[in-house]
Amino acid sequence: MTEEKTLLIEVNGLRKSFGKLEVLRGIDEKIYKGEVVVIIGPSGSGKSTFLRCLNRLEESSGGHIIFEGTDITDPKSDINKLRQKIGMVFQQFNLFNNLSVIDNITIGPIKVKGMSEEAAKEIAIRLLTRVGLLDKIDAFPSQLSGGQKQRIAIVRALAMEPDVMLFDEPTSALDPEMVGEVLDVMKALAADGMTMVVVTHEMGFAKEVGDRVIFIDEGVILEENNPKELFSNPQHPRTQDFLSKVLS
Amino acid sequence: MAIYTIFSQYYHYFLRGTKVTVALSFFTVLLGSLLGSILGVMRLSKSKILSGFSKIYVTIIRGTPLLVQLYIVYFQLDFLTYPRVIFFGMDLERSMPCMIALSLNSAAYVAEIIRAGIQAVDKGQGEAARSIGMTPSQAMLTIILPQAIKNILPAIGNEFVTMIKETAVVQYLGVTDLMYNNGIVTTATYNPLPCYYISAIIYLILNLVIGGGINVFERRLRSSD
Repeated sequence: MTEEKTLLIEVNGLRKSFGKLEVLRGIDEKIYKGEVVVIIGPSGSGKSTFLRCLNRLEESSGGHIIFEGTDITDPKSDINKLRQKIGMVFQQFNLFNNLSVIDNITIGPIKVKGMSEEAAKEIAIRLLTRVGLLDKIDAFPSQLSGGQKQRIAIVRALAMEPDVMLFDEPTSALDPEMVGEVLDVMKALAADGMTMVVVTHEMGFAKEVGDRVIFIDEGVILEENNPKELFSNPQHPRTQDFLSKVLS
Repeated sequence: MAIYTIFSQYYHYFLRGTKVTVALSFFTVLLGSLLGSILGVMRLSKSKILSGFSKIYVTIIRGTPLLVQLYIVYFQLDFLTYPRVIFFGMDLERSMPCMIALSLNSAAYVAEIIRAGIQAVDKGQGEAARSIGMTPSQAMLTIILPQAIKNILPAIGNEFVTMIKETAVVQYLGVTDLMYNNGIVTTATYNPLPCYYISAIIYLILNLVIGGGINVFERRLRSSD
């Protein structure tokens, strides 16, 4: 990023334990506005947990996460208010099964932000058109393919007009032929300047779209760099080992 | 043939009792569902006191016989005066304590149905709701409960079927349900076996009809998936 760098999220000494298991062991990270940060690492490394701490779906066990000047880890912070600004896309899509596509998208703006139904619908139509799914507006999640579900899930998060989007392995539950359509939406989003934090196994996406790639293993950031450097010239032996496995 | 003879002569006793049995079961399940919903949600509460109370309640009710519960409630509440009115064929003065006891019993089972129904909804649904900024109660009311209802309603229908059979204990407190009337006909005819066959057939028909209704209803719910 060459333009002005505005700090959006600052993570200091983030720790997370599940019982005796230490999943995150002190993570420090700064995420700037407009950046696309890709997090890679072996399964069980803590990368998803890190992402879920960023909107407090997981309560951290130590450290601080400052989002737009507010400490998310502070129990007194209004997490529901903060989450409106932090969109999240899940591996399993998690579309609301009891609601149609249009209601999935508008329920947030209407119920949470208090937007009028017309205004919310307008946003939904604009976003659905953008991802090429306007014809599914009245469908129910059970009638959609995985790729369609995930594109709708992205739209649902976008409809809240967030300042950052978190992606938790957004293509891992998809059939191979549907990965492309979801990645295309994400690429377009990145090109629009959306700040994105993406946990993924799609190394191609990381290379092409990422501004920065972070390698996490055993709960710590072992290495981070621009994708070109990290993929062609990894410094840490574990990064080398991991990349040799996933890129071969 | 004795079955036919006795039924044709005493059918109005059986039908009168059937009416009471159905009414008693229905109002019991209704009241029990209300109480059970509260207990079920309490069980899932973060508060240790609320969830602990619910858990202990369910354990006690499920661990003791209904007949014993019925007597305990009846004698424990003997200071109450119940209205002397006939309601759906039920003499409330005698039926009310039974309805209370049965409802308290049913509530424990309904609480478990509701807890299981809510827990069966994929955790991701609640997480997604929270991730767009919904409060816990908004997520529960708009996303989780509407989906849990599909698991809950058919199971509550089954609770109704169970109650129809369980209410047979109320005859011991003089409520004129099907089994009480069965007793009257037995005494009148000195021929118990055909009477019990008649009662069994009536219970069976009731439950087949209700069970069939639940199935239709369940299919309706499924079709929206």
